[in-house]
Amino acid sequence: FKMSMKLRDLIRKVRACKTAAEERAVIAKESAMIRTAIREEQEHYRHRNVAKLLFMHMLGYPTHFGQLECLKLIASPHFPEKRIGYLGMMLLLSEQADVLMLATNSLKNDLNAKNKFVAGLALCTIGNLATSDMSRDLAPEVDKHLKAPTPYLRKKACLAMARCLTKCPDMVDDFVDRVVTLLKDKSHGVLITVVQLMTVVLLVDVQNAEEEGIEDITETPCRVAFLRLVPALVKLLRNLLSMGYSPEHEVGGISDPFLQVQILTVLRLLGTNNEEASEEMNDVLAQVATNTETSKNAGNAILYECVQTIMATESEDSLRVLAVNILGRFLLNRDNNIRYVALNTLARCVEEQKHSGGSVLVASGENANSAASALQRHRTTVVDCLKDPDISIRQRALELIYHLVNQENVEDLTAELLNYLVLCPREHRADICARVLRVVDTYSPDDRWRVDTLITMLTIAGRETSTDVQYATIVYISRSSEDIQAYATHKLLKAIRDDDGTQLGLLEVGIWCIGEFGDFLLNPYSYEIPAKLDEPSSTVSFMQLDAATVVDTVEAVTKRHSCPQTVKERSLTCFAKLSDRYADKADPATLSRLHELIKKNQDSHSLELQLRSCEYDALLNAAKGISTPAGGNKDDDIFGVTTEPGVVSAQVISAAKEALARMPVVDLKVLQRKQAAAHFGEIGMGVVPRTNGTANGAAAKGGDLLDLEDIFSSGAPAAAPVVATETQNGSSAPAAQPAKSDVDLLADIFSASALPSQAAAPPTSMGGVDLFAAPALSQPAAPAVINPMDLFGSPPPPALAASVPLSADPFGS
Amino acid sequence: MISFLLMVNKQGQTRLSSYYEWISMAERVALESEIIRKCLSRSELQCSFLEYRGYKVIYRRYASLFFIVGTKPDAGGEENQENELGMLEFIHTLVETMDKWAGSICELDIMYQLEQVHFLLDEMVMNGYIVETNKSNVLRPIDLMERESYKAENMFR
Repeated sequence: FKMSMKLRDLIRKVRACKTAAEERAVIAKESAMIRTAIREEQEHYRHRNVAKLLFMHMLGYPTHFGQLECLKLIASPHFPEKRIGYLGMMLLLSEQADVLMLATNSLKNDLNAKNKFVAGLALCTIGNLATSDMSRDLAPEVDKHLKAPTPYLRKKACLAMARCLTKCPDMVDDFVDRVVTLLKDKSHGVLITVVQLMTVVLLVDVQNAEEEGIEDITETPCRVAFLRLVPALVKLLRNLLSMGYSPEHEVGGISDPFLQVQILTVLRLLGTNNEEASEEMNDVLAQVATNTETSKNAGNAILYECVQTIMATESEDSLRVLAVNILGRFLLNRDNNIRYVALNTLARCVEEQKHSGGSVLVASGENANSAASALQRHRTTVVDCLKDPDISIRQRALELIYHLVNQENVEDLTAELLNYLVLCPREHRADICARVLRVVDTYSPDDRWRVDTLITMLTIAGRETSTDVQYATIVYISRSSEDIQAYATHKLLKAIRDDDGTQLGLLEVGIWCIGEFGDFLLNPYSYEIPAKLDEPSSTVSFMQLDAATVVDTVEAVTKRHSCPQTVKERSLTCFAKLSDRYADKADPATLSRLHELIKKNQDSHSLELQLRSCEYDALLNAAKGISTPAGGNKDDDIFGVTTEPGVVSAQVISAAKEALARMPVVDLKVLQRKQAAAHFGEIGMGVVPRTNGTANGAAAKGGDLLDLEDIFSSGAPAAAPVVATETQNGSSAPAAQPAKSDVDLLADIFSASALPSQAAAPPTSMGGVDLFAAPALSQPAAPAVINPMDLFGSPPPPALAASVPLSADPFGS
Repeated sequence: MISFLLMVNKQGQTRLSSYYEWISMAERVALESEIIRKCLSRSELQCSFLEYRGYKVIYRRYASLFFIVGTKPDAGGEENQENELGMLEFIHTLVETMDKWAGSICELDIMYQLEQVHFLLDEMVMNGYIVETNKSNVLRPIDLMERESYKAENMFR
């Protein structure tokens, strides 16, 4: 019969362990001993063993074999055993434990014990553990203790009842009136617990009302009863404030701050959306706000709660001014905790105001007392918080800044946001970029700034930006004037040169721009930044570049190891376009170099690169009027360009040239509609009918041939396959549309989702691309062509049939 | 309401843990180590509040021990309305109470008198809500119960 260890000895032993393995060994050994003791029903050491189990449980070891022991202990008549038994139950058991039910009887007995400590133990356990069945069973007993002679039991009973009511919400109405009497209690312990009970009951009540579908929650019997108590609560609070020095409850010179905070919380719940209640509490809130000491944390805690209550209830304007001023003072406090709390509250208030007020924040029209105007006043402080070393504060400040942005300060604030972007951790960057995009969408003062900001953002965080940002940048650039386009392209080229190949977004957008607007690069560019308040005017200028340098830059990007597939694909397109742009402007050496660069990928391992390479090669040849090499395979003539050997017709040449011409401008409204649909509509569901509808609409107009509405299926790769199926009309099955349609903008634009699959088939079956089959576009060709071009909104009238397929790049990549 | 209350030392060893919301053992271990790591990585100048997996965490360091409280919205509430500054005060009151009880509390006291510390805590917090903040109202019953236990134990022996 081994002497069992005392808990102390076990702790000492575990402490002495040098390694985790040693600790596990010690615990395992002791665990085994305890299990043996339990099996042998050694009553003597039950108390000690359970104590040891609690210790082992805290360390994280399994202790479920001890659960029944706890139950045996609580049935013991000896106080220390009971005590440890109940503690064991509270720590080792969860409310899901099956054995918990077995305790109900013991609990009932102990609740009725004469010894108040025993009753207290039972109440404590019920308060922490009761299940809904136990609650229903024991509630009447708990209720008796609400009227117990000693406050010791009353306060415990309050919270035990709170638990019972949370578990059995339907019992709420029965116990509402108990609260009324308890509020008059003298003991602060009882007061704080009964106020918390009220809070819990109110929340349960709201939940009940929601479940039963009651619209107006102000009419529930519970709430009506509690609303009648508002004056009593107000009186209680007032007494606390005017209480003289009472050593029992004061903390830092303030009497019972905990109780004050709890009362304010309950007042908030009662005063929300209730004019009458809010009026009743007006004075006392003002009193708290003005008289509370701010030098100690306790005082600030009360003020914090008070501000929240003022903001949430229907308080008078003067009160709101007070609250806002308090928040303003908090923001300037040196204590980080207080600033954090202020930022948090401001963000919440502004958020709520936005939702209820509905309108976007306009500082000028806003009520001077609102959180919004306070926010504007403290703008510099908030911006400073963005640079705080504490990350919690930085994040809160970030939230607030989004709310702060308006037409006047957008430039400054965006600059701050971009500064922050440089320093902020990777995980948060994507989110910030998305938000900056939204800011740019809504508040840009002019095109140049917009494009500028987006490019800067891509330079800083191109890697983390989503494709939305990239697409948006491209759209904005393409919609701008030629001047801005030139600026953008110059800027992008410079950025790419300076970049080390990591900013993927920048590369994608940049290479696209260079391809599209490469001709602008051959001219120098400069513009003047107008003089501002404290800065003289300055000029930003870019040198002109020669074609070779441009090609060099793009080539350098593709040569890097780290260059991803998509960038290489895009650069092929870029080279093809540059061939066209520089056709008359660059030296022949560069032009042939471009052609070579394209041909280089003819044997590439990547199917896509190979495809583009071959097709662009053929396209360039067609544009130059070069027919397939004499004696070459008929198969080399991908597009059936040459009907007679050695001759390429003029129409074909012009068709090829148009294929490479500038992309038409996207209709922004269509884009936004599409984006909205992508966000709300189910992917696939919303998209299909819509495109059909608007397609017909466009047909009716006859214009908007290049209604590129389906192009920017950003973020909805599934939309691409939908689009493909819609247009296929029976022609080759879409196959698995790669998500690349998401990334490859141009694939989207020309909805080549239809075509690559066709192209993948042996070259001869280039059904949809048979445009060049005959010198003249005959009508029969048109219908065949229309299928893939369905996207562009219409079976265009025959007269236009010629131009529709031509201007669209059927190669789609 | 309070979801959990931890006392963890700087080496990451938990000296006391009290959960008012049942979490599985594996999750507890993970939670405790994550949170203490976060607390340790913060400097004195940073604020005492963190967010961790939906919990609003308030912590404070006293000598070698971190007192960590995790809060969640009340049942039925959607937003966590817990007053962080108030919780800081409460942690301080708890430490002062323990200090008075032990006559200058230190980590070893908590380690070797684990049950008594739990009893003390149970007098102040029940089911995640505050029961009593007045030190004497907490310590008097503790004292009486100790005496009763002592008597009973002697009889028992």
